Amino acid sequence: MRRVLGIVLWSLAFVAAPSLAMAAEPGADSFLGIGAGLAIGAGLAVGLAGLGCGIGQGLTAGNTTAGIARNPGAAGSMFTNFILAMVLIESIAIYGLVIALLLYGSLPAPPA
Amino acid sequence: MSVYASIEHATHVPAVVQASLLAAGLLVVAGLVLRRQIAAAGGGVVPDEGVTLRNVVEVLVDSIASLARDIMGEEWRRYFPLVGTIFVFILVSNLMGMVPGLGGATSDVNTTTAWAILSFAAYNYVGIRKHGFWYINQFLGPVLFDVTLFGRKIHVRPLLFFGFPILELFLHLARILTLSVRLLANMFADHTVVAVWITLVPIAIPAVFMGLGMLVAVLQAFVFSLLTMIYIGLAMEEPH
Repeated sequence: MRRVLGIVLWSLAFVAAPSLAMAAEPGADSFLGIGAGLAIGAGLAVGLAGLGCGIGQGLTAGNTTAGIARNPGAAGSMFTNFILAMVLIESIAIYGLVIALLLYGSLPAPPA
Repeated sequence: MSVYASIEHATHVPAVVQASLLAAGLLVVAGLVLRRQIAAAGGGVVPDEGVTLRNVVEVLVDSIASLARDIMGEEWRRYFPLVGTIFVFILVSNLMGMVPGLGGATSDVNTTTAWAILSFAAYNYVGIRKHGFWYINQFLGPVLFDVTLFGRKIHVRPLLFFGFPILELFLHLARILTLSVRLLANMFADHTVVAVWITLVPIAIPAVFMGLGMLVAVLQAFVFSLLTMIYIGLAMEEPH
């Protein structure tokens, strides 16, 4: 199974390599033009930032819930820390959004 | 479309400046009203009944003051007005930005960067005031061991030669950037999301995101002032 997977991946790499080498000069007929790169980058920026943020906030929420279940008397201060942590982790995802907006703003004009 | 457009057309004052002047004016009026209420209540020892401006502000100030005492130590009263002003001004500006026709000052990059530079200057001022020239110890890295040379004890900081000052400098400059971008982008992202939802489903769903925007407005003001307090606390602590 692993051997088959390795063979498949290597053959794909050999097929894709010439097109990657030729895409060093972006042009109107090349797949990796500057506009496509910016657009893919913008999408990936928000997506990956949201992925990290989601994992972080999910872990925070889970641990806070477990803490409150373990000690309901301290729920007030735990809630304060929870909100603070959520806001600070959220700001990381917002940085990704800012980069995506910057990239989106500098996309070249579409051909008429 | 916005309230400031006609005034801007008449006097060429930008909308951002109008919004921040309006927020500052609201705060000054609230301060004067509070002062009269506390004077009328005879010194302010007994709280009023019900929900008055004075009670709300007392709760707010009390919670931030306890946080400031935890973070900044004994000298918290000296720096509390700055932190409180940051919190209240950004809170009022954010909430003004949530109203559809009225724009907030914090939706513009100039306001948030100005507050971030102010916060940076404040904590550096606190550090230099407290430590003098030896505030530079924070940039020189941790001490590995002490060596007694020529009768004087000298700290050996090995990380000084591995680029630690450059890293610390970059971290401190990044604080300005993150403070301003966090506030600006949170406000701007909510406006963008509400605008997109209005073009998709104009009936009930944008209201949900506007509610989220109110929560974010309060939290972002709190986070900005809390981070300023933390930076001041970090600048005041003894360098290791």
